[in-house]
Amino acid sequence: MGALSKPKSEDAVTLLPIDIEKAMQVLAGDPSRLNNRPVVAWDSERVAFLSAVSKAILADPDARKLPDAVTFAYWARKGNLAAIETRTRVAGRVSMGLGLVFHVSPSNAPVNFAFSMAFGLLAGNSCVIRLPSAETATATIIVRAVRHVLAQPEHEGIRGALLLVRYARDDEVNRFWTGIADGRVVWGGDETVRQFRRYPAPPRAREVSFADRYSLCTLRPIAVLELDDAGLKALCSGLYNDIYLMDQAACSSPQLVAWVGDAETVGRAQDRLWPALVSQVKERYDAPPIRLMDKFVRACESAATNAAVHHIQRHGNLLYRVALETLGPNPERCRGIAGTVHEVVLTSLDDLAPFINEIYQTLTYFGYGREELTTFVQRHGLRGIDRIVPVGRALDMDVIWDGYEIVTGLSRTVDIR
Amino acid sequence: MPDSTYRPDVTAWPNFGWERAAKDAALLAEMRRLTNWHRSACPPYRAIIEKLGFADAGIERLEDVPFLPVRLFKHLTLRSVPEDAIVKTMTSSGTSGQNPSRIYLDKVTAGLQVKVLARIVTEFIGPKRLPMLVVDCKATASDRYRFSARAAGILGFSMFGSDIEYALDDDMSPNMSRIQAFLEKHAGTDILVFGFTLIVWRNLVLALEEAGETVGLQTGILVHGGGWKQLLAQAVMPEEYRARIARATGITRIHNYYGMVEQTGSILMECEAGRLHAPAWSDVLIRAPVDFSPLPAGQPGLIQLLSVIPHSYPGHALLSEDIGEMIGVDDCPCGRMGKTVKIHGRLEQAEIRGCSDTLTD
Repeated sequence: MGALSKPKSEDAVTLLPIDIEKAMQVLAGDPSRLNNRPVVAWDSERVAFLSAVSKAILADPDARKLPDAVTFAYWARKGNLAAIETRTRVAGRVSMGLGLVFHVSPSNAPVNFAFSMAFGLLAGNSCVIRLPSAETATATIIVRAVRHVLAQPEHEGIRGALLLVRYARDDEVNRFWTGIADGRVVWGGDETVRQFRRYPAPPRAREVSFADRYSLCTLRPIAVLELDDAGLKALCSGLYNDIYLMDQAACSSPQLVAWVGDAETVGRAQDRLWPALVSQVKERYDAPPIRLMDKFVRACESAATNAAVHHIQRHGNLLYRVALETLGPNPERCRGIAGTVHEVVLTSLDDLAPFINEIYQTLTYFGYGREELTTFVQRHGLRGIDRIVPVGRALDMDVIWDGYEIVTGLSRTVDIR
Repeated sequence: MPDSTYRPDVTAWPNFGWERAAKDAALLAEMRRLTNWHRSACPPYRAIIEKLGFADAGIERLEDVPFLPVRLFKHLTLRSVPEDAIVKTMTSSGTSGQNPSRIYLDKVTAGLQVKVLARIVTEFIGPKRLPMLVVDCKATASDRYRFSARAAGILGFSMFGSDIEYALDDDMSPNMSRIQAFLEKHAGTDILVFGFTLIVWRNLVLALEEAGETVGLQTGILVHGGGWKQLLAQAVMPEEYRARIARATGITRIHNYYGMVEQTGSILMECEAGRLHAPAWSDVLIRAPVDFSPLPAGQPGLIQLLSVIPHSYPGHALLSEDIGEMIGVDDCPCGRMGKTVKIHGRLEQAEIRGCSDTLTD
């Protein structure tokens, strides 16, 4: 077996030290076959594999109750992948994978490991993916689908390119994978990113890392008041997805709602919108009591410690609305749990600009045109906001995320003239 | 400024003797006074109850009294008296990496804790100090840093003991010769046996059973507390707990108590009929997690405790992270008045905190 440090393409099987292998629980794939041989980006075998996984998930009756698993499965359909390729790939350019990419997936968003896997495979890499230590129904079902598809003879080619593992916090295993990976994808926020930067990586290794982010929503009160009942229901459904599907813990879940308009109109729009949202939450949200307790504790803390908090309106324990008198100095510290929105009334969207820093990620909107938002981002030279999407699409994961074009970021562009 | 001085007649309240209407009236008046007092004296408390809209409705019934989540004492410094009036700071045992609760006591509050606890406990063990056998080791009581909840419990209850002995060695195994000597010394008299629920079970009952031994504590009155969580995990029900204690030790007078460090003193005690009773100085409300609305008897929910003791910190109305249900009011076969409740256990995945955080394997 060749040395680990500089494998050549022809003997590119990664030899795992026995200690490392023992420390991990393999969920899918075969460590003895893992290689670091890249393929071209958007390789048809990879697309076929992902769409087979998509089919397997959708065929699993257990998946139906899991919106996140279903969302991933829809995203990974053959047709959707083809559309993304057309949209993002530069015609005539040759892109290859980096080799081996190590992924550290987050615990607050159980489905993200699957997206991370897809991005890494589509970029042409072999992928080692560390799943969160806590088992979730979402992960169980997706892992089951991956194993099922890997076992099929027509997807044999993927077997050396994918390894899903789980292991307890283990410095040595982290160090090992970081040390040999050509790229790493680190989810899980500031702490995790910092931790993985402490492990030495090869000089050419690339990093795509997802730090802590803050997301917000802006609503035009007039637009809310003009909605008919069906439109109001649709808007609430969108807000429900953005806020509640991930217990408001996803980095793209809105924490702050900025109303732009005069106070009187905003008041009327609030009176119309929030009770309608609450009635949907009542039907759809099944929060564990401990989460509601966390929410109550957090609300008490912010009432006691944040002078900008004017009052907190509680709709039962389903929705808390924290009324802020002013923004700042650091609105991104206003975070909620499982359905706590901080509300502020602004006269213009431009009033937001001074507060936007590099921590801001997703701006969801309702009642705006795409152009005025484009102008808003460009005119103020904002350091943050990487995504601007309509209400309801905050959690829609895609190849462009957090300001990265991930598939492109995990592949090499080969300049051929 | 509202009067902070507690009413001297509070300690003379009739323990378990008040019928609902009389108790509600007295307790409600005291709750209003305490709410106003803390509101004027503790700015974070005022901010919370005003901003969360508790203050708007007025306090017409006990269920209207604004309540704080007990976990808040881990996150905020909540005091209603100047720092130099603090005579003692109690801490709950937090698990590793978590802040412990910090409870600030002035003289009034510390004094009330002792007097109220004495009234409640003597109802069950009699007015005289008794020889006391602590089901724990001496190191626990002296190591206040590591096991503060256990140490505080032992210390608090030792005021009911005349001659105090520890049943366990420092390795937490029973010392048979010491127990025997203590029993011989106090033959024929009632003995107060005190310990934490889990430790009594694991380090006394199971240890004796394993060794095939018994002790002759027929005159013992066991008072135990700290939570059933670990016992429930081992599927030990209260009935079995009592039966096996009786078999291994001869003790048949057994009283569980329920309380929290944040409301030390006004504990709920288990009567001969196996129900936990709220004494005159405290009351229990059960609330639905989804909207905190009060629940009737028989429906499990979050346990809220009221206590007239806390003057130096705003802890007179606290929402716990325990689940329980109300059994009845003024209708216990034992004849004592007041609400009776049953504790189901902690909220799932709740932080492990307080008294049940004893020995972890």
